[in-house]
Amino acid sequence: MFAHYLDLAWRSLKATPLATSLMALAIAIGIGVTMVSLSVYHMMSADPIPSKSSKLYAVQLQVMDEGQTYHSADDIPFQLTFLDAKNLYQTLNIDKKVAMFKSGFAVHVNNPEVSPMLQTTRLITREFFAMFELSFLYGGVWSQSQADNAAPVAVIDETIAQKLFGRSDVVGESIYLAQRRYQVVGVTKEWQPNVKMYDLNNGAFADAERIFIPFSHAAAYEIDTWGNTNGWKREEINNFTDKMNSEMLWTQFWVELENEKEQQALETQLDNYIQSQQDLGRFNRKTREFSLRNVTEWLEYNNVVSEDNKVMIGLSFMFLAVCLANILGLLLAKFLKRAPDVGVRRALGASKTQVFYQHLVEVALLGFMGGVIGIVFAQLGLWGIRKTSHVYESLATMDVSMLLAAPSIAIVTCILAGLYPAWIVCKTSPAIYLKVQ
Amino acid sequence: MLELKPIINALLRSKVGAVLAILQLALTLAIVSNSLSIISERVTYLNKPTGYPEESIITFSVMSFDDKIDANQQLIVDERILKSIPGVIEAVGVSSVPLSGGGSNSGFSLTPEDDGKHTNSGHLYANEQVIRTLGVKLIEGRDFTSGDVLISSEYAKQPDVVIASKAFTDEIFGEGKGLGETIYYGGGPLKVVGIVERMTNAWPRFKNADRLIIFPMVNANGFQDFLVRTDPSLRDEVMKKIESAMLQENPSRVITGIKGLDDVKGKYNSKDLLMLRMLLVLITALVVVTALGIFGLTQFNISKRTKQIGTRRALGARKSAIVRYFVVENLIVCAIGLVLGTVATVFLGQKLMSLYSVPPLEVSYILITALGLIVLCIASVIFPAKKAANISPSIATRSV
Repeated sequence: MFAHYLDLAWRSLKATPLATSLMALAIAIGIGVTMVSLSVYHMMSADPIPSKSSKLYAVQLQVMDEGQTYHSADDIPFQLTFLDAKNLYQTLNIDKKVAMFKSGFAVHVNNPEVSPMLQTTRLITREFFAMFELSFLYGGVWSQSQADNAAPVAVIDETIAQKLFGRSDVVGESIYLAQRRYQVVGVTKEWQPNVKMYDLNNGAFADAERIFIPFSHAAAYEIDTWGNTNGWKREEINNFTDKMNSEMLWTQFWVELENEKEQQALETQLDNYIQSQQDLGRFNRKTREFSLRNVTEWLEYNNVVSEDNKVMIGLSFMFLAVCLANILGLLLAKFLKRAPDVGVRRALGASKTQVFYQHLVEVALLGFMGGVIGIVFAQLGLWGIRKTSHVYESLATMDVSMLLAAPSIAIVTCILAGLYPAWIVCKTSPAIYLKVQ
Repeated sequence: MLELKPIINALLRSKVGAVLAILQLALTLAIVSNSLSIISERVTYLNKPTGYPEESIITFSVMSFDDKIDANQQLIVDERILKSIPGVIEAVGVSSVPLSGGGSNSGFSLTPEDDGKHTNSGHLYANEQVIRTLGVKLIEGRDFTSGDVLISSEYAKQPDVVIASKAFTDEIFGEGKGLGETIYYGGGPLKVVGIVERMTNAWPRFKNADRLIIFPMVNANGFQDFLVRTDPSLRDEVMKKIESAMLQENPSRVITGIKGLDDVKGKYNSKDLLMLRMLLVLITALVVVTALGIFGLTQFNISKRTKQIGTRRALGARKSAIVRYFVVENLIVCAIGLVLGTVATVFLGQKLMSLYSVPPLEVSYILITALGLIVLCIASVIFPAKKAANISPSIATRSV
């Protein structure tokens, strides 16, 4: 029966090409516009690390004096001081913790044929790879003793390996970060989370770093940050050692917690840490404040999805509603015009349900057509967005779920719009039309 | 003369079509006028002058990896290399690039004591060539001289003088004042020797975007930003030559991000530009869809009343009367839609304002949109109404 209705629907649509194209166009435009904003929203708000997003926590400490404010929702600075990151890493009794910050170097291999390149580099502690799920193609992470001795060792990703050496298996090779020679101990698979959740300070959608070196190098080689430095206090800073010991904020600290119990234990430890620092004259607020936010909460707290995007989503759905009203009107017109046919069919024994069902099949088909054309429009729109800025290259795309969502939304919209006209037409009384004939 | 009563009766009898049209018009008014308001705010922001001749300035960064080189000395050499490229007017090494979203911003005060009363401003460090390179207009005082410039690699040292933007001096000293006065930064005094009419700091979107202070100071390290002002017609040529010219002298470094200051600004503003474009596409599509909808509904109304029209014509109604009938009917629908729409518009505007940082909706946007919709309504009814007027009176005598 469904096939028969589909055939009838197809014929009906073909019989009124103008009305059909108008309706398909209206739904396609509506879907196109809605899908563009939905896709960008979907990519921006997508969980960057689904298996860990409820286990990885960003640590924040309220280091600022009483009365000082910070541009975060709860006044707690987004970043930590170098001192705190270092101390927490050394003192917290927890296996999975990472202290880190962003830097960068001119990278080369002392080979005149390979031109040097500027690369952002992340200074991390060993746990980073396991916590954020980077996988190694060759080699592995440096040892703890290498980190402690600030041995010149680095982990790079496969694209860097390819650029510098033309192959991926480069464990044991030497690269130069500025003038310092580093030995490659591991090569990771390319890793680009859609949101750079572990460091949102310089663009949530910025590229992840591709070179990793031990956090201990910061002190050993005076490596400064390439990220933001936020100062809140007047301090005499004459050299890098002063900066490392200052209250300036420029590092990030994350932990991985398995359950509530571990979280509570960590909270106690953090509180104790602040207390111990208070004895040294730091953290001089009346209340000891810190916060632990998992990835999901962290992205929300940092407003990763922009306001513009939320406004666009709202307007797009209102727009879709206009298209719906539009199609409803056109369908009503079309179906009522066909009332005489329906009258005859009803007189020949078609039940109301059958007539109703047949018309819904027709609108669903229409919705499907509109949805498919809508995908084309959406792709066009997304292409336009990608052209606007390089930032949107990976964001302005439709993944499979969005590709499937488009025709689904179109069909649902059309069926919603078609319910009333189909209901009206199936109520057609056979008698009227037979009489006139 | 206007057949108001029969029109209203006819409308009441086929309510659904009219209700749908009213709904569409109301929503369209709400969406379009709110979008227009957001668009106009963004356009104003994007067109706001920065004070710089953006089309004739090039910026780029240098990362050296030879730590034996004296960075401050290298900076002087580099500026000389850049100035020798044909088409270059002036070049300078800067601590950060205006309009780029990255730089320094601090509090400045009127007293050496840190009493917490600060006026925030962006600031950057460069030598005496900076004002000429930026191409900004000095309206009071003097430009830097080479004697003003402090070359030092010590963090804590500070020059004696600064040049500030008028927006900053107006803010801290009061309108028109500031020249020759002293401000304090980290306890150290800085005399304002020059005031620039307009120059934007690194964050054009921020409230204090117009406040910028320039320190005549060079503290170069391995990473250095440069600004180059060129003859605008030769800018592309110069851009191509920069990398090789810089590397020829000293190959132990990487030159990156060679681009125009207009591109730097474009990148910083890409979110606003995107929103602008998306909203423009949205309202264009919306207007098309609404026009199609009203056109379709009128067409349907007319086809339903073919017999009625034929009868009226047979009874002597003029073609113009038929056209007028439909135009008036449409205008009534349009008017109701717009009244409801105005309510929806204000509601949406307030909702958006309470949730997000959008500007308050001005009445003019509602009026402009409403006027546009009235024109749209009339335009989309004229064609089907004229067709209706051509219905032959004989139709009234046929049975189907």
